[in-house]
Amino acid sequence: MRRLLLVLGNDVRRHLKSPLAILIYMVIPLAMTGLIGVIFAPRTEGRELPPIPVLLVDNDKGLASKLLVSSFDVDQMKKMFQVTVTDEADGRKRMGRGQASAMVVIPKGFTVDLLEARPVTLLVVKNPAEQFLPDVVEEFMNTMAVMLSGVVQAFADEVRGIRAMLDLKVDSFPWETLGPEFGKAQKKVVAASKYLNPLLLRLKTEETKAPGARRSFTQADLFSAILPGMAIMFLLFIVQTLMRDIISEREDGKLRRMMTTPLRPLELIGARIFGGWVMGVAVLLVMMAAGTLVFRVTWGPFGDFLLLGAVASFWTAAFFALLHALVRNRNQAGALSAPIILAFSLFGGSMMNPEVMPKAFKMVGVLTPNRWFIDGAAAVRQGRFPFVSLIVLLVSGLVLLALAVPALRRRTSV
Amino acid sequence: MKRIKRILHVAGNDLRIMVGDKIFFFWTLAFPILFIVLFGLLYKAGDNAPAVAELTVVNLDQGRWGAYFVEKIKAPNLELTMAASEPAEFSRLLVLPADFSAKIEARRDQALAFKKRSGASTKAAARVETRLYQTIARVLCELVLYGEGDLTKFLDGHPEFRDIVRVESRFPEKTVTVVPSGFDHSIPGTTIQFIMMMVIIYGGISVLEDRKKGVLGRMLFSPLSAGDVYQAKLLGRWSMGLLQALMLFVVGRIFFRLNLGSVPLALLVIAVFALAMAALSVFIGSVCTKEDMIIGLAVLLANMFAGLGGCWWPNEIVPPAVRKAAMISPAYWAMDALHKLRFFQGGFPDILPHLGVLLTLAIVLAIVAGRSFRIKD
Repeated sequence: MRRLLLVLGNDVRRHLKSPLAILIYMVIPLAMTGLIGVIFAPRTEGRELPPIPVLLVDNDKGLASKLLVSSFDVDQMKKMFQVTVTDEADGRKRMGRGQASAMVVIPKGFTVDLLEARPVTLLVVKNPAEQFLPDVVEEFMNTMAVMLSGVVQAFADEVRGIRAMLDLKVDSFPWETLGPEFGKAQKKVVAASKYLNPLLLRLKTEETKAPGARRSFTQADLFSAILPGMAIMFLLFIVQTLMRDIISEREDGKLRRMMTTPLRPLELIGARIFGGWVMGVAVLLVMMAAGTLVFRVTWGPFGDFLLLGAVASFWTAAFFALLHALVRNRNQAGALSAPIILAFSLFGGSMMNPEVMPKAFKMVGVLTPNRWFIDGAAAVRQGRFPFVSLIVLLVSGLVLLALAVPALRRRTSV
Repeated sequence: MKRIKRILHVAGNDLRIMVGDKIFFFWTLAFPILFIVLFGLLYKAGDNAPAVAELTVVNLDQGRWGAYFVEKIKAPNLELTMAASEPAEFSRLLVLPADFSAKIEARRDQALAFKKRSGASTKAAARVETRLYQTIARVLCELVLYGEGDLTKFLDGHPEFRDIVRVESRFPEKTVTVVPSGFDHSIPGTTIQFIMMMVIIYGGISVLEDRKKGVLGRMLFSPLSAGDVYQAKLLGRWSMGLLQALMLFVVGRIFFRLNLGSVPLALLVIAVFALAMAALSVFIGSVCTKEDMIIGLAVLLANMFAGLGGCWWPNEIVPPAVRKAAMISPAYWAMDALHKLRFFQGGFPDILPHLGVLLTLAIVLAIVAGRSFRIKD
């Protein structure tokens, strides 16, 4: 045991002397978590999307089109849309360059057609490179269309009066007839106000979570959900780097020399696996501390998470011990390790929320340590003990260890 | 001429060694294809929200207005599920209270509870919510139009609401006519990301190993100068990036019906981008002393540039500040140029600024890499 600890201590000192590669691997998950967290953070204003750039082309320049254009000038709309009023030629040019999410074109004769209650079509030109925002503009215009259709029908008589006014000369218009018309319109406005002020029907939108889940989702929650996935991915990278000593020592002859000392092969193997495990836990603790300080990540009960981290780290050390026992040289180990880690991470949910993955990807994900670690971390965060994750990682880790030790013994004997 | 031949020979040999590595095909083809499939399915056109958005309605109303309102909500892209009480599982839920009709008939205002489950499709939720607003607007308009008298008799018959104003949508002229598939985004995005990753890792490590093992030093015994060796290394890594892009585009064309817009211009963009990455790989290979450092740096740079540059998700959902910051990523310029070609059927003038930025970057990196290129440690 003393010899095992001596080897372990020596290994730790050696790795701490040139820690740059390990430091880079520790920076990556934090940088990635920061980037994804900033992009997908819940907006403070309660909106899920950034302001939508919209081009507005008024080819009509009549009363109705001006009313429509001014509807974008309301405070709530200003927050949702970033409107630029322009002419059609410039609008088409800008849309051709993808400088807006959508362009709304009000056709010529819009006001007259509305006044005569003739069907009229508003055109929404959508940016083909965007997937979400143009549809929001289209649906907003659909709602406006319903409201405009309603107004035109509600004030059909008055609208006809306005239409006649537009056709006649000022001196030939019978102004005295306007009085009773205004009176009728006033009655309609008063009648309409019964339904519109306050609105007879409103929608009270509420975002809910699955039973037992927290009510609000903050940026820190997002970081808390992302970082464990990133942490396990780079834990795999770091531990495989540390465990590569198993092969490099065999290749450069150090192993042969070490075996001339009273050190037994089993002690050396134990030191390597134990070293990978201990340093894996240390790396996880550093990432945990950095995540807490930089992103205010919540991990749940510290003891539970530490236990999960220790078991995941043990699994990682056992896995790479077996892999390094099976490969012939360092190049082969390097060539195999990175693809395996990336495949684990892709299927296991380190690179993407497993819930949105296709079914086949999810099924493969169950075979990866990433998936169990991420699920376990989520359970700890929600205050549950990660029993299933711990059992799966521990049992499979022990199986890997049982396979790795005899294989490594064969490769260690000189 | 002989000098160029020698440089080409060394570059070709580098490429041959890399292609000969069995794992090369995992990195250049198999793994990127997994990415393409995953992101392609995730951002499949029209599938950001399910084709039909679900809405569960709990109609507790004891009068006739509840059923009338539900009828008005119905739309081809909406799937209504009626429930007697609030179910445990739902994506979106609308509750019509027991006194829904009574309140309308008494002309008393009311708010309808609409619940969205967080984590369910945002786009589907927006679609349902908009439809509900449209329904409310429609019912209110009908009430304003025809609701003068006793509202209990309103539903016995009234003229139909006419949609006088309609909305037509289309894409800009001379661009696409059908919605591009998710693969048209995910294939270029993945190609750009893996060119960065592969060229930096493979290119950087091989420069490091050649230097450490003295291969570069031995090459100077041939008629090659140090400058020639550098140019050959640069060319080898550049051709590797190009080869990878070609393979992914061909696979994309065959299996995912990839449409790049103008293929020659898309390849030109990739060529200039790959040149910048080749120079970066030689630089990193020259300054790093350990393989793990190169892999770490490559993973860090490739992922940060890809995330910022719009290789993973549509840039439209990114906050404006991050969108501006994205301009520091070479991936942004390459992706934007490829979007111009694919989605806007753009031509050479449209991507000229992008090519200019990428070429400038490539020249700057090539100069820096040339200065730091070392034959021996």
